[in-house]
Amino acid sequence: MSELLKLEQVARAMEGIGTPEAVKANRIRVPTTPAKVKEAVRRALTDLACDHVVQIAAVDNGKAFELIYHLTGPHRTVVAIAIELPRDKPEVATASDLLPPAGIYERQIHDLLGIVFVGHPDLKRIILNEDWPANEFPMRKDWKPNPNTFYGGVRKEAT
Amino acid sequence: MAEVVVPIGPHHPALKEPVNFKVVADGETIVRLELDVSYNHRGIEKAAEQRDFVRVVPLLERVCGICSHSHTTVFVKGIEEAMKLQLPPRAQYIRTIVAELERMHSHFLWLGVAAHEIGFNTLFMWTWRDREAVQDMLEEMTGNRVNYGINEVGGVRRDLTTDQIQAALKRLPHLEDRIAKYVDMVNHEQTMMIRFRGVGKLSRVDALKLGAVGPTARASGVDYDIRKDDPYIAYADVPWKVVTDTHGDVYGRTLVRIGELQESLQIVRHCLENLPAGPIKVTSPRAAPKGEVLSRYEAPRGELVHFIRTNNTDKVERLDIRTPTLANWTSVAVSLVHQNLADIPVVVAAIDPCLSCTSRITIVNERGRKTGELTWDELSAHGRAFYRNGRRA
Repeated sequence: MSELLKLEQVARAMEGIGTPEAVKANRIRVPTTPAKVKEAVRRALTDLACDHVVQIAAVDNGKAFELIYHLTGPHRTVVAIAIELPRDKPEVATASDLLPPAGIYERQIHDLLGIVFVGHPDLKRIILNEDWPANEFPMRKDWKPNPNTFYGGVRKEAT
Repeated sequence: MAEVVVPIGPHHPALKEPVNFKVVADGETIVRLELDVSYNHRGIEKAAEQRDFVRVVPLLERVCGICSHSHTTVFVKGIEEAMKLQLPPRAQYIRTIVAELERMHSHFLWLGVAAHEIGFNTLFMWTWRDREAVQDMLEEMTGNRVNYGINEVGGVRRDLTTDQIQAALKRLPHLEDRIAKYVDMVNHEQTMMIRFRGVGKLSRVDALKLGAVGPTARASGVDYDIRKDDPYIAYADVPWKVVTDTHGDVYGRTLVRIGELQESLQIVRHCLENLPAGPIKVTSPRAAPKGEVLSRYEAPRGELVHFIRTNNTDKVERLDIRTPTLANWTSVAVSLVHQNLADIPVVVAAIDPCLSCTSRITIVNERGRKTGELTWDELSAHGRAFYRNGRRA
């Protein structure tokens, strides 16, 4: 186990990407823009020796969608790269080519929030069932189930 | 021979939830694997947004039947971090005892399932009998065998009496003997060595690249364990070590889990013997201040993550759960490539998937243009016959 990453180290690696802040001793958060997220992930992998993706957290904050890429490595510090995506065009470049496990997480986020990961090789459904209507994303704050829509399971007529 | 797609699932009696695997096979050899876990989405993340912190804990306890304590602990410790609560040490120790007993019963269960998949049903019966002893301990302490209902925001709901502690300590030597027996068996028993060695190989580089977690990663020499990396509840106070192995196959994953059984037992013993006196909970405020917490936990199957957003109310704004099985999935899909069809049960079981499985397999015979079904038992029998006839590739 090597030493925790220092804020200056992260600031140096993330120059031109965003200004990191230490949330806790072992958590450093780097806010950035969707256009720079891929470069940020790449630098975390190479310059900060992150080799494990903990989670890509996805949040609908009511105004926009947020994605927080949590990465860690032998230093056991979680580097959180945070971006915001506009509601009307929720698109961001995929990180699955840099981080293979991100592929399955991105499919899940696409399923639940409708965020499009541009360049993802196989962005198909994984969590919701095959009968779920297209273009309905249940984790969006403004989503309401429509009583007349069939969301899967057993159809009423069949019972 | 041409490639054929073998769909497995979504129903299988051996595991808990439904999943569908599409296995692309060339003869007996696996070429590719695809996964569909969409059969049992219950919308728990959405439901969690509608409930206050008192009512959401029992809901999260039901995310998983085996890791029930993991899901509540990771959540309440996240909320406590957001509320900046200092918990009494007694509460933390009780949580640790339940957490390690949960790991023990989960690993015993896994060892039994893995033994069953290779047709070694004696071991399956033995480990599940020993698991009963662990479940009895949990029942004596918490009142429940599965969903313990011990956690709440601010502490634990039940205290341990001196009698309960003594009764639990008395049960440990027997379990210790049993675990020592399994350590011996895994090193000498031919059935385990033949069927586990070299199966589902995952190198250290691949384990890291593919994001494997828990015993799956540790069996490939990756020493990530959240209990050490980001210590929570009482782990910083307890002497224990991270168990790793370098085999990188199902055999290594077995060694890691048996090693963890030994470690868990010592953690339970240490916590029972050194249980600090004092209160078991603190009063928590109704609402949590606006904040963002990434709560990490080493569940029996690996790193479990709850990402929590709070917004000055008594409900979470967002709860994003990342379970260890989802993290391990990418690595299974890779470690099965170039393996035998007969090894699917044991390689899939080796990550201890907390999803589900299969009651039948559709066998597509391209030449005969016939479609037939195979039950899980028949597939298991096929696996056993395949090895008995010495046709191992």
